Amino acid sequence: MLKFISGRFVVVIAVALTLSFITFFLLNVAIDPAQAVAGEEAEALEIEQVRQQYGFDRPILIRYFEWFKAVLTGDLGISYYWNKPVGSLLLERAPETITLALMSVLVTIFIAIPLGICAAINPNSVIDRMCLGVAVSFQAIPNFWLGLVMIIIFSVTFPIFPVSGDKTYFHFILPSIVLGASSVPPVMRLMRTGLLDVMEADYIRTARSNGFFGRKLILNHAMRNALLPVVSVLAVQLGHKFGGSVITESVFSINGLGRLALESILGADIPTVQILVFVFAFTFLILNLLADILNAYLDPRLR
Amino acid sequence: MNKTAISILSLISIFFSIICSSLFADKSDDTLVIAFKREITNLDYHYGTKTEYLILADMIDDSLFYVENDNLSYVPSLASDYKVVNDVTLDVNLKKGVKFHDGAEMTADDVVYTYNFIIKNDKNRRHTKLASWLKNIEKTGPYSVRFNLKEPYANLYNDLYRIKIRKNGIMGTEGNWDDNAQANSLIGVGPYKVVSFDPGVEVVLERNEEYFEGPKGKPAIKNMIVRSIPDMGTQQAELMSGGIHWMYNVKKDVGESMAKNDRINYQLGPSLRIGFLVLDAAGFTGEGHPITDVRVRRALNHAINRESIAKNLIGGPANVVHTACNPVVFGCFQDVTKYEYNPEKAIALLTEAGYPSGFELELWSYRDKEAAQAIVSDLGKVGIKVNLKHGKLAGLNKARKERKIRAYFGTWGSSASPDTATISNIHWRDPSKGDRNLSGDPKVNELMIGAERTLNIDERKKLYAEGLKLIADQAYWVPLWSYSEGVLSSQDIVFNQDADGYPRVWGISWR
Repeated sequence: MLKFISGRFVVVIAVALTLSFITFFLLNVAIDPAQAVAGEEAEALEIEQVRQQYGFDRPILIRYFEWFKAVLTGDLGISYYWNKPVGSLLLERAPETITLALMSVLVTIFIAIPLGICAAINPNSVIDRMCLGVAVSFQAIPNFWLGLVMIIIFSVTFPIFPVSGDKTYFHFILPSIVLGASSVPPVMRLMRTGLLDVMEADYIRTARSNGFFGRKLILNHAMRNALLPVVSVLAVQLGHKFGGSVITESVFSINGLGRLALESILGADIPTVQILVFVFAFTFLILNLLADILNAYLDPRLR
Repeated sequence: MNKTAISILSLISIFFSIICSSLFADKSDDTLVIAFKREITNLDYHYGTKTEYLILADMIDDSLFYVENDNLSYVPSLASDYKVVNDVTLDVNLKKGVKFHDGAEMTADDVVYTYNFIIKNDKNRRHTKLASWLKNIEKTGPYSVRFNLKEPYANLYNDLYRIKIRKNGIMGTEGNWDDNAQANSLIGVGPYKVVSFDPGVEVVLERNEEYFEGPKGKPAIKNMIVRSIPDMGTQQAELMSGGIHWMYNVKKDVGESMAKNDRINYQLGPSLRIGFLVLDAAGFTGEGHPITDVRVRRALNHAINRESIAKNLIGGPANVVHTACNPVVFGCFQDVTKYEYNPEKAIALLTEAGYPSGFELELWSYRDKEAAQAIVSDLGKVGIKVNLKHGKLAGLNKARKERKIRAYFGTWGSSASPDTATISNIHWRDPSKGDRNLSGDPKVNELMIGAERTLNIDERKKLYAEGLKLIADQAYWVPLWSYSEGVLSSQDIVFNQDADGYPRVWGISWR
């Protein structure tokens, strides 16, 4: 097991590093970072000043290795765009994204689990198809569109929730629904399949013979085993939420890591983008790794 | 949805509206909320170049000169008067009794300190530009200073407007400058004081009751909140729900649609921004391309129905321009060759140049895709098969720097600077010092940049006239149209749009 975990961890580090280099390379090759930092209508002299000030006139490889060396010593660099240490920027923005990610996973659980159960206890029926239809619709609707529709209905037509901002937990309700909705289908489908499999198991048959039926049978006996794969998928979905909140945070003006990523990419803020890509990739990969470990623990054939 | 459901939702919304009402600022507490698409990450204008930074700086800061909105000319602001001693010397007297937000009086020491801080600190975004023409600044009295120039520089008033006066010593001392001293809290002399600042989220301002009698005038509204909302759709929703009162950079179709709401006002006013096609007449991308032939470039000028595109796609006061500058700014001489929309003439010119079946052209663009596509369509009608490469500005800039661009659709807003120098300085430089001058004609550079090298107004006008005539005659550009600036606002406020499209939001009042 230890060999399996250490092997996967090496892969995680290698993937994160490869991603970081590709990002650095693309940001420098696709655009002129000096122009992006100086601004759209910066004059030529201002652009040249930025180019020299930030060292954009030096070879990419040298700059990448300098950055990497600094990161290894704990220096994450200074953001060009925000003019402050990237580390403190991340710490300032992380709570909003963590709040949004956790709340959106809760939304996923509240929608997907009941739908999955409902579909499983009525397999291949109209109800099953309707549950699947609802779930798939959530995934098919683009985040930005769903966000704007929710704002129009629940903030403009019926002013229940604030349109944007992140001052209170109240501000996070609509964005959490938007972000959480896209994860409903995989969780719902897994819940349904898991529950159907478990319902065929011998111990369920025994429970039935002992007089357990309906809600009691599902909640007390079947759910516990059916939830195991769902938990590992939720871990992966949490990783998705950390890195996938870019659009939702922009639409709802939430000052989290997703919006920071968007601003940094548009502003060619290379030090911030580098660290964010690394953090997002690493979080995603670690959560995947945890899911793999959990699966390997549950199923020895995977080790 | 049935009636019961609507009733329940309405009751819930009334309940939450009462709770949320504390979150909204409005006329009752004399608080105006405006939104910017781009974030304010630093209060100090000397470290940013975005227009949003300039708007904020004009609220919290002040400078020696200011762009007066009626005549679009530079007028003294913190300066009381000035005198051009000769082509390289400018004397400026300062207004007395001007107070910083902390109550200290502004004197010549503060002005000298500010300019020295910029020309001696190369980390400052304004350093290179200012140091290119300013030799030094001297204190000539408690309320007077003298600027000594390295060489004559006509557009210096633009820089004297953009340099915001800092309190003596506040940014540190020479060799020990503190670039972040005014990044998060700022002591300026502007019409508003900073109450709080959350970078990238909002700036809360309060009227400066001690504000001097300057050309900006005293603000009518006591409190102002500047919010950063990156998504325009969210800004619209905030405006509809009363969360904000004002937003700008609104496209025509969006504005017209929003204006159907009784509580919202849509204004489409003029702008200094113009659009144009820049053509590689010099053949930097390779010799022998049809575009290096003046007849072909003239054909392009005749082929595009600029009036129709300006009227239908941009709208408002957008109009056809024939010059490489906006007609409303200083020095933009208008008596130049004008190319009317005439596809037959374009075809005749192409035939005369040896391209009766047209040719292929790669056109780069980065904004106004609809307008770019309309241009492509018009050029196609005379046989020019255009491959449109629409992408990000940064990519276009990089390709142009590498001399890979044969023609591009550019725009220039001049950032509230009403002088031809602002657009010509960057577009007609010597090609060795800038990559936007694709004319390959040293005479254009000599005339257009030469007009910046004298403070004599008549001489400047004469040089610009010759330069602009030459550009039009040789069709180095295809000047397209001036733009419009769209603003959406609540019916509760009065906002006047100025001729340069620069939003002077400190002039907003309640209706």
